[in-house]
Amino acid sequence: MKKERSLEYEDEKLILLTQKGKMKAFEILVNRYKKNAYFIALGLVGNSEDAYDLSQDAFVKVYRSINKYNGTSKFFPWFYTILTNLCKNHLKRQNVKKRYLSQETERQKLNSEAQNSSNSEEKLEKLALKEKLLEEIEKLPFKFKEIIVLKHFRDLSYKEISEVLEIPIGSVMSRLYYARKKLKESLKDFRE
Amino acid sequence: MNCEEIKNLMMGYIDGELSDEQKSLVEKHIEECEKCRDEYKSFVRIKEVTEDMRLADLKEDIWAGYWKGVYKRIERGAGWIFLSIGAIILLAFGMFEFIKSIIFDPSLSLIVKIGIFSLTLGVVILLVSILRERLFAFKKERYRDIER
Repeated sequence: MKKERSLEYEDEKLILLTQKGKMKAFEILVNRYKKNAYFIALGLVGNSEDAYDLSQDAFVKVYRSINKYNGTSKFFPWFYTILTNLCKNHLKRQNVKKRYLSQETERQKLNSEAQNSSNSEEKLEKLALKEKLLEEIEKLPFKFKEIIVLKHFRDLSYKEISEVLEIPIGSVMSRLYYARKKLKESLKDFRE
Repeated sequence: MNCEEIKNLMMGYIDGELSDEQKSLVEKHIEECEKCRDEYKSFVRIKEVTEDMRLADLKEDIWAGYWKGVYKRIERGAGWIFLSIGAIILLAFGMFEFIKSIIFDPSLSLIVKIGIFSLTLGVVILLVSILRERLFAFKKERYRDIER
C-alpha cells in the first residue's frame, strides 16, 4: 500500500497516543494516509476539490470517534469505511462534474505532438480510449468502481484489498473479474 | 480446469498474484481456449490503459497545508460544540426566568399563564426530540449505506 512511512510508529500506537491527547501523533497518521485518502476519494467521486474536502472530513470523523477504536482491527480498513461512506453520501447528494485527470494538458500536448509525429493518430486514439474507460468506470456500481480504484489507481495487492474491504481474496478476484468484464464490453468499438 | 474456474485465476495472473503452479494452469487454459484467450487479451488491454492514467495530483503547497486544514476543521468543530452548549444553557436559563416571571405575575390571568406555560413546554419537548434524533443519527451514521 502506498503509505508515507517515514516515522517508525505503527498506526495502532499513533491512535493510542491520539486517544491520550497527543495531537502530533494524529498529525503523523494524517500525513501517512492523506494521499491514499485523497486519491481513493478522487477515484470514487471524480472531482479533485470534493475529494480533498471529503478526505479531510474523513480524518475529522476519525478524530471525533477515536475513543471508539479499541485496537483489535487495523486502522486503514476502519478509515476506509468512513471515507467511502462519505463518498457514497456525497455522490447521492449531487451530480458531480468529473475532473479525474489533467486531461486538458494531456490533450494540448498530444495535439502539438500530432503536427510532428507519425504515430500521433495512435496517441489520440489512446487518449479517446482513456476518456471512454473513465466514463465507463464512473458508471460502474459502487462495489465494482471501488475495486477498480483500489487495484488500478492505488495499486493495492489482493491481500490489502481483502483487508480494506473485509472480503476474502477469492471475492476480490471475482469482483475484479466482473468489474473488468463490464469495462471490456464498453471498449468493443475501439480497435485492438 | 474449465472456463468458469479460470475466471478468478485469470485476474490473479494479470495482476501477478499467482504461484507458479497456478500460472501454469492459466497459461495452459488460455492456450487451449480461444474464448478465454480473447477475454484475457481485453483485460490486459484495460490494465495497460489504466496503468498509463494518472489521477490529478495536488500541488506540493496544498499537500503541505493538508494537516493544517484537518486541524482547523477539528478545532472549529470543537468551537461549534462549545457555542451550542453555551447557547442551550443560556436559552434554558432565559426560559426558566421567563416562566418564573409569568407564574408570579399577578396581572396575568390563570388561563394566559397556562397557555404560555404549555407553549413553552411544547417548544422544549420539540427541541429535545430533535436533538435526540440528531444525536441518534450521528451515532448510527458511520455504518449507514455501507453495502458489503
